[in-house]
Amino acid sequence: QNILPVCFSVGYSAVALNHVIDFKEKKQEIVKPVSPSELFPSLPIVQGTTKRIKVLTRLTLVVSDPSHCNLLRSTSANIRLYDIIAVFPKTEKLFHIACTTLDVDLVCINVTEKLPFYFRRPPVNMAIDRGIYFELLYTPAIKDSTMRRYTISNAISLMQVCKGKNIVISSAAERALELRGPYDVANLGLLFGLSEGEAKAAVSTNCRATMLHGETRKSACGVVYTVKKPRKVEEEETAVPACKKAKTQA
Amino acid sequence: AATFERRVLRRAAEHHYLRVRLELPDGGARPNAAQFKQLVVTALRELHGEVGAALPVDVLTYEEKTLSAILRVISSGLVKLWSALTLLSFYQNRRCAFRVLQTSPFLLALSGNSRELVL
Repeated sequence: QNILPVCFSVGYSAVALNHVIDFKEKKQEIVKPVSPSELFPSLPIVQGTTKRIKVLTRLTLVVSDPSHCNLLRSTSANIRLYDIIAVFPKTEKLFHIACTTLDVDLVCINVTEKLPFYFRRPPVNMAIDRGIYFELLYTPAIKDSTMRRYTISNAISLMQVCKGKNIVISSAAERALELRGPYDVANLGLLFGLSEGEAKAAVSTNCRATMLHGETRKSACGVVYTVKKPRKVEEEETAVPACKKAKTQA
Repeated sequence: AATFERRVLRRAAEHHYLRVRLELPDGGARPNAAQFKQLVVTALRELHGEVGAALPVDVLTYEEKTLSAILRVISSGLVKLWSALTLLSFYQNRRCAFRVLQTSPFLLALSGNSRELVL
């Protein structure tokens, strides 16, 4: 509740609230996401523009077993209510499945411990073609120095395989102090081995593409964004590839 | 007819300037200027080791009341300094956070902040 005002003051224009579901414990049900309008009756305005800030909901599934993925295919009504779905694979086989067949928007890469598997190029390339993004977290790097090493080493090994494409850097902040501004996070991307343009994209354009991918998944065939301002024509063009991909999927 | 010559200078600025603010939510003792510089050097040492701690960083101004400062660093060391400040989380076992407000290769540019404009 008190993290979000800090987000807005630091300069973000869209925030996603995350719910983590871990399948190792029993009796996990997907609960309905808390609607953002309940938390904030009126959303503040983005710095420097006149638009309101978007608050989205996001679900992260921690999978360590292939049977957990069945939940994604089931027509549970609650899954549809989330804007973005992310999966956190724990084994190499699940990573392969998540990149190639699962219907998700983000694949989380573990930063808190040494990866039990190495990234291979074929599933990573297939994920890039499908429009799935890889997510890195930066908050563990703030908390602990051991995790800092794991974050940087896992990020570097990911960069070697995917060459810096389709990366999203996000925070798993539980306190307002653990949040960092967007340019600071883009600078951290430089530490991970991204180039300057890729690092900025990891915080801005790739995140927006993930949002659009989530909306594409919700709708039947695709998303077309129409905006009034002429300078945003290039954004509409980025929405068109999402439609094309969804049509080939469906 | 006058002939024109255009020169483009890339990365010609020697120093980069950063306006930062340290957030210490608990109402404890505030660091003075020397302790602030010590904190910056500690942050560099934690992330980039002795080589990082040896980076020439200057604290040009420091206000103890608002805990905001203007730092100057050599341009090649901007990424190291900025990442070290981003990842710092503890000052004397108290939780803290650095917020980088503005950064520019020109000191004059730090005087105006477009984010504080009220539209």
